[in-house]
Amino acid sequence: MDLLFMAIYAVAVLGGLLGAVTYAILFERKVIGYMQIRTGPNRYGPWGMFQTIADVMKLLMKEDIIPAQADRKIFVLAPVVAFAPAFMVFAVISWSENLYAADLNIGVLYFLGVSSMTMLGVLMGGWSSNNKYSLLGAIRGVSQMISYELPLVLSVLGIVILVGSLNLRDIVFFQQDVGLWFIILQFPAFIIYMISAIAELNRSPFDLPEAESELVSGYHTEYSGFRYAFYMLAEYTYAIAIAAFATTLFFGGWLGPAFLPGIVWFLLKMCLFMFVWFWLRATLPRARVENLMQFCWKVLIPLALLNIVVTAIIKVWMGW
Amino acid sequence: MAIKTETMTLNMGPQHPSTHGVFRLVVDVDGETIKRVEPVMGYLHRGSEKLAERFVYTQFIPYTDRLDYMNAMTNNYVYCAAVEKLLEWEIPERAEYLRVITMELNRIASHLVWWGTYLLDIGALSPFLYAFRDRDHCLDLLNEISGARMTFNYMRIGGVKWDSPDGWIDRVKEKVKVLRENINEYDTLVTGNEIFQSRTIGVGKLTKEQILDWGISGPLARASGLKMDIRKDEPYSIYDRFDFDIPTQEEGDVYARYKVRIAELYESLKIIEQACEQIPEGDIITKKGKRIMMIKPPAGEAYTRAEASKGEIGVYAISNGKNKPYRIKLRRPSFVNVAILQELLIGKNIQDLVAIFGSLDIVLGEVDA
Amino acid sequence: MFRLLKGFGVTFNYFRKKKITIQYPDERVVMPERFRGIHRFFPDKCIVCNLCVTACPTDVITLTGKKSEENPKKKIIDTYNIDFQGCILCDFCTEVCPTDAIVMTARYNNLSSFNRSEQFKDIEWLSDNHVYGYYEESDRVPEMGERGEQK
Repeated sequence: MDLLFMAIYAVAVLGGLLGAVTYAILFERKVIGYMQIRTGPNRYGPWGMFQTIADVMKLLMKEDIIPAQADRKIFVLAPVVAFAPAFMVFAVISWSENLYAADLNIGVLYFLGVSSMTMLGVLMGGWSSNNKYSLLGAIRGVSQMISYELPLVLSVLGIVILVGSLNLRDIVFFQQDVGLWFIILQFPAFIIYMISAIAELNRSPFDLPEAESELVSGYHTEYSGFRYAFYMLAEYTYAIAIAAFATTLFFGGWLGPAFLPGIVWFLLKMCLFMFVWFWLRATLPRARVENLMQFCWKVLIPLALLNIVVTAIIKVWMGW
Repeated sequence: MAIKTETMTLNMGPQHPSTHGVFRLVVDVDGETIKRVEPVMGYLHRGSEKLAERFVYTQFIPYTDRLDYMNAMTNNYVYCAAVEKLLEWEIPERAEYLRVITMELNRIASHLVWWGTYLLDIGALSPFLYAFRDRDHCLDLLNEISGARMTFNYMRIGGVKWDSPDGWIDRVKEKVKVLRENINEYDTLVTGNEIFQSRTIGVGKLTKEQILDWGISGPLARASGLKMDIRKDEPYSIYDRFDFDIPTQEEGDVYARYKVRIAELYESLKIIEQACEQIPEGDIITKKGKRIMMIKPPAGEAYTRAEASKGEIGVYAISNGKNKPYRIKLRRPSFVNVAILQELLIGKNIQDLVAIFGSLDIVLGEVDA
Repeated sequence: MFRLLKGFGVTFNYFRKKKITIQYPDERVVMPERFRGIHRFFPDKCIVCNLCVTACPTDVITLTGKKSEENPKKKIIDTYNIDFQGCILCDFCTEVCPTDAIVMTARYNNLSSFNRSEQFKDIEWLSDNHVYGYYEESDRVPEMGERGEQK
């Protein structure tokens, strides 16, 4: 019975996710379009509602091209490896007080551990394509994602210290009890989290692995058709996952005035996150490779460590 | 212990997103560090100089449009000026003013394209669209007066083809105000941005000696502290009547070039404003110039140069007294400026390659002629 | 230090502003009078002087004339072709034409084809290309409404 429930939940989440990704892409294009004084997609359906669906249909119907010199098995496997962990982390996300899959005691750890595997997909894709641009993109991507994994984890630690639990639901309940969201209690951590999340997601201004003006398209240069669609799906799924995680940690998850159900609040907060990312993309130029690494190791990680120390001292001092 | 590394040869172009046309760079990279660069050009070669020899003088004007298609007015001008020098014609006042206004409008359009595409190379998406919106203001004006948006074919030997349509001068004045406001906005959006500065400050430095050795001109030279601008040094047309500065920077890096170009936008706007105030009534073309197929300069040679948006553009024309030129030689600034690339890129990484290459502001139509 | 934050203000400002996209097939740019679009030819006005052929830098115009039946001294046009594969729309043909028989319209969107040979336009097509341009025409075609639009 449990197994059946799990399967149903997984399929439901997958379905919901596909829809969410579809409209996240539309949302992104619209936001960026509006910021660039144009209207974005508006040909398919009202307000361009079916644009992404049409795009996906096009990608699915395209010929499946695998380069002759590519490492076939890894090439085929890579998009799946990129997508699977991004999807798996949704198991611990608690959408509202009652709607969740796993009430895992080590939710935070599970999320961070599993999500860091997405870089494998990047590396495999870049390596197996046997394309120089892909390889360079994969090298950049992996070094960047490994580096930014650290401040991401460290920024979360402060919250874990305060709450005393790795359970994502406990973190939300804690925020409910205190009456304050962690964005106020842990503001430095929030900033660090936001910056490293962007780098984790390879989003602008840290989109070096797929910098189109330099590396054509980065690690997925050789991918086309539905494999490319898979990469895009993985990317946006991961973005949604990170936004959901951030909502849980810093914005009090499903908490909000009672006139709307919890899940709506949760989704609205996620949309806010996504909007900020799109806003960044519309505004900022791409960062420099060296600066990116320096910024991570010399600024973000020390700051994150400092935040942990201060949080720990306060916690002991206040006796929470 | 040194890690053994291997260089790999990377073919950037001719269809790479940041080569701005059909330009190819064969790059040997060690990791991301560039060891050797070999620019390959000629994909757009049309033999313009040779073609000129089979044309009547006027017929070559549309071909100059297609050299630096971002800045066709100046090309038009410099060719016509060369033939006029051979003919020793006096050009009507109004024609000169119209030439200056259109040339400066075109310079603004050209610099805006550079600004937009350069930031697109750097990775910022929005400036591209903002720049093209404002470029369209310029192109719409030029379209009204010349009948085309990019390949104007507006100047004629001895004057210009059309007089300004009704109210055109007023519309130019209005647009100048709009453009000035928008360029201010660009400053807010980009110039102060720390990420942008980190990408550009100290990158791709050119010293004064390098500039002189390689014969580089235009904004690139001015960004390295050389105060050279043909509009001031050797005023052609009626540029000596206007009050404008030559913006220079000392650093010689990409950021300096950026600042020089932004400052030049303001200077061009200043020139346009003054020209719009001063423009007299009168003829727009000399009497003989109207018979476009009948132009027959006496035998002789002439070299004229002008300050295009990319640098010094020059036309060297030899006439043997017939109605077709004996030889036309074009000094194309993009072609000269791109030569430095080989020296400039060694030891940089791929990201800097894009930043430096973009900052040279080359147009492939002009490189390959 | 944080001057980059100013940029967010700029982009957000544009987020609220009116959009400037022209929804192409539905609305079209109105080209100015002088716009050098596709040619129109008036066979009645042509005096077969061959000037346009000489003036053409790309040699895309070919024409033949024949003797007029009413007035054997006069020549009238027989065939007139422009090969738009090579035409650079430079306007010299209209500039040299003494009778304004060949003119440029403001039309810019009726040349696309799937076949190169379709770019070769003959006298019939050229004289049918009704759009207003910058040319003096006593008998303007009344059924034309918007510029470049057939009603």
